Amino acid sequence: MPEPHADATTQELARRMAAVVGEANCVSDPGGLSVYECDGLSHGRVRPRLVVLPASTEEVVEVVRLARAAGVPIVPRGSGTGLSGGARPTPGCVVVALSRMKRVLEVNLEDGWVRVEPGVINLDVTRAVAGRGWYYAPDPSSQSICSIGGNVAENSGGAHCLKYGFTVNHVLAARVVLDGGEVVDLGGAAPDTPGYDLLAALVGSEGLLGVVTEVTLRLLRRPEATRTVLATFPSSDEAGAAVSGIIAAGILPAAIEMMDTLAIQAAKAATGLAWPDQGSLLLMDVDGPLAEVEHTARRAIEIARQAGATQVSVPRDEAERQLMWKGRKSAFAAVGRISPNYMVEDGVIPRSEIARVLREIGRMAAEAGLRVANVFHAGDGNLHPLVLYDARNPGEEERASRLGGDILRLCVKLGGSITGEHGVGAEKAAYMAEMFTPDDLETMALVRCAFDPETRFNPDKVFPTPRLCGEQPGPYRPHPAEAAGLAERW
Amino acid sequence: MSGLRPAGPEDAILGVAPRSVVEPASVDEAVEAMQACARDRLRVAFAGGGTLLGLGAAPTGLDVLLRTRRLDRVVDHAPSDQIVVAEAGLTLDALQRALAQHGQRLALDPPFGARATVGGIVAANAFGPRRTRFGTARDLIIGVTLVRADGVRATGGGRVVKNVAGFDLPRLLVGSLGTLGLIVTVTFRLHPLPEAAATLVLSRPAASKVRALVRSLRDAQVEPTSTLLLAEGGALRLGVRFEGFGPGVRQQGERLAALASAAGLACEWLDEAGAASFWARHDAVRTGGPVRVRLAAPPSALEPVLRDAVAPLGEALSGGGAVLDPLVGCGFASGAPADAAAAVARLLSARQALVALGGSLVLEAAPPEVRARVDAWGPPPPALDLMRRLKARLDPEGRLAPGRFVGGI
Repeated sequence: MPEPHADATTQELARRMAAVVGEANCVSDPGGLSVYECDGLSHGRVRPRLVVLPASTEEVVEVVRLARAAGVPIVPRGSGTGLSGGARPTPGCVVVALSRMKRVLEVNLEDGWVRVEPGVINLDVTRAVAGRGWYYAPDPSSQSICSIGGNVAENSGGAHCLKYGFTVNHVLAARVVLDGGEVVDLGGAAPDTPGYDLLAALVGSEGLLGVVTEVTLRLLRRPEATRTVLATFPSSDEAGAAVSGIIAAGILPAAIEMMDTLAIQAAKAATGLAWPDQGSLLLMDVDGPLAEVEHTARRAIEIARQAGATQVSVPRDEAERQLMWKGRKSAFAAVGRISPNYMVEDGVIPRSEIARVLREIGRMAAEAGLRVANVFHAGDGNLHPLVLYDARNPGEEERASRLGGDILRLCVKLGGSITGEHGVGAEKAAYMAEMFTPDDLETMALVRCAFDPETRFNPDKVFPTPRLCGEQPGPYRPHPAEAAGLAERW
Repeated sequence: MSGLRPAGPEDAILGVAPRSVVEPASVDEAVEAMQACARDRLRVAFAGGGTLLGLGAAPTGLDVLLRTRRLDRVVDHAPSDQIVVAEAGLTLDALQRALAQHGQRLALDPPFGARATVGGIVAANAFGPRRTRFGTARDLIIGVTLVRADGVRATGGGRVVKNVAGFDLPRLLVGSLGTLGLIVTVTFRLHPLPEAAATLVLSRPAASKVRALVRSLRDAQVEPTSTLLLAEGGALRLGVRFEGFGPGVRQQGERLAALASAAGLACEWLDEAGAASFWARHDAVRTGGPVRVRLAAPPSALEPVLRDAVAPLGEALSGGGAVLDPLVGCGFASGAPADAAAAVARLLSARQALVALGGSLVLEAAPPEVRARVDAWGPPPPALDLMRRLKARLDPEGRLAPGRFVGGI
């Protein structure tokens, strides 16, 4: 039940929402709401007006209609693992959490796809088909907890997107509920549906266009063979040269990950791996048909040695391989062992600039009096600098935040991006204007307005300045009588 | 508007002639031209190499044709980053020549590479047999600069492959046929030229056996860059191409040969000249006549597609044939209609069959007497209303290639 002093609009909305999704699935008490105040980015908490957990497309339609009638914004939410504040509530909003919609609806291996509800966990898609030798390729590090709906919103990548592409390359169709309550199907099981590729606009739209209620995902056959190579280098210079050499040799690894000294130390502390304490490390997967894989792994090892690798190792078995990858995938959390606080950044640079950028980041960190651990997808130049700080020291958090921002500006200056996979969300909206001109942003806003003319969905995200769509009524402002609880707007 | 010249008959799109033609020589000139069109409220369509001007419907009216052929520069090729920025009017062949000097390629191979331009390929979503492995322009485009109907220049995406900042304008423009804006530059991700390649051809598989063969191919965990079913004169051939490093290509070829042998099919390992001629045959077959259509259906629908679309079209159209990618579910059919009425009937029934399977049949070329009775796009997609809303936002006056797109957009 809503708090007794909740305003009349909220109380009435809660009553009506509960009638659609059930009392238990309409959260309005302060304790329940507090769970939804943030996503994976825990600062800047905002308590939503309500949280509803619909169980079907039909319920989502009703929820959207009610929110629209009440003039209330909607913030869609998956597992809440996002790292850019994309699911952070907007003041006064209804959070539509899709976590109850977690059915795998249909598997079609003849055509290589699976149709799921948005709350299905990424790894559960693979689990549903792994027994038959198939898998779902995008593998964000959070894949054991993040949802497909969230992946669609963020166009999630992962270590293996170097060879296999991002979520957008693996979504064949989606059902989306728009602001008017219309249910629209985009894409299909056959390729090349005539018309605009609205699916491409939807994937990566960060919850600004509508609520996705079903997704058809492309599945892949497991590759015949995978070879993993771990190579250590005296410094990031040699490791960066090895990455460039491997790519220049025409090899397209499934993944090439890089960690610097601080990140290696953190991962070691967390996993007990016997990695060296100094220098830089590359972890690489090549996969595909056996002979191709053996050949490319051999070539990559040669190139790593020529580039100055001090040690090259290949896992003895799958267990050891998994441990190596665990070291990489747990690196973010592991940094918590060597620093009381840290910020995860996500920027992209041209791959050829890796060594230079790491040196520059080192210089900037020293100047700021902070440490930065670097864990990143070297194959596609996607950096994840982890800025370490201690929030107990006055001013340090601000310095860390400034350093993070400076790193993003450096990425843009070199022709890169302010985000490779975490999204813009709330956190990076301000940086959009550094990467795009006002005209670029206006063009993107036109696309948004085609879908959501009243900017109902996730209104304060992605765009640096709040904007309205032209030719549409302004934002809803409660009538004084309504605000005083004397009237309702239904 | 500077550089405007009167149009001639060769400037018509599907019989609709513009009054004037403009050929900007730079992106700035293209912006100026678009601003002039906006100021004078002129209807404008775009042409690159003109290889797919028959895709879609005729424009409802046209004042200006903007030709991109003078926008033909490689703006930036960064080999170590495997990306290229190219102006829209650069031909595919010219681009590939520039990239090959650095051992790279754009993994797109539609026909008519000597004329097809990168902007046109994106706008028309043109693709070739390497789609099996590399997908379409959608999977390779990473950035775009467009000029909107109102003359505003805007950029989306970027110069790096991995980038989720902002809405995906580059992919949204793929296949939009010049109805959302003029594409002036495109940024693509590139792939290395393969060290080795092999093409194997399996002859005369029975239509009923092809699906099982394709399934066993997939189960063999090979990674072909092309799989192509070529249907000519009632006979089928399945061509499979592997590209990569020598040992991998050899092993995959041997594996395919073993599959063919198990299925009792003759399998020929083509030499370089034979392979070139087979893939050239693909281009010839899919473009072999005044009627050319795109076919799409789920891959598992291969048998009904062959029976209800490819076979009847083959009877009504002579001199062409059909190509299908059995792993992707896309294809093309072409030929010359002996009798327009029969061709129309077969096109309509083939479309009906494909639509019933969840697919589509779209005209890439057809003479007026066929067009008069066969809609260019077929039944409107379920999201047509949303598509109209998008068009209305980006081109509120409906001046860009009016009527060319689905549902009269």
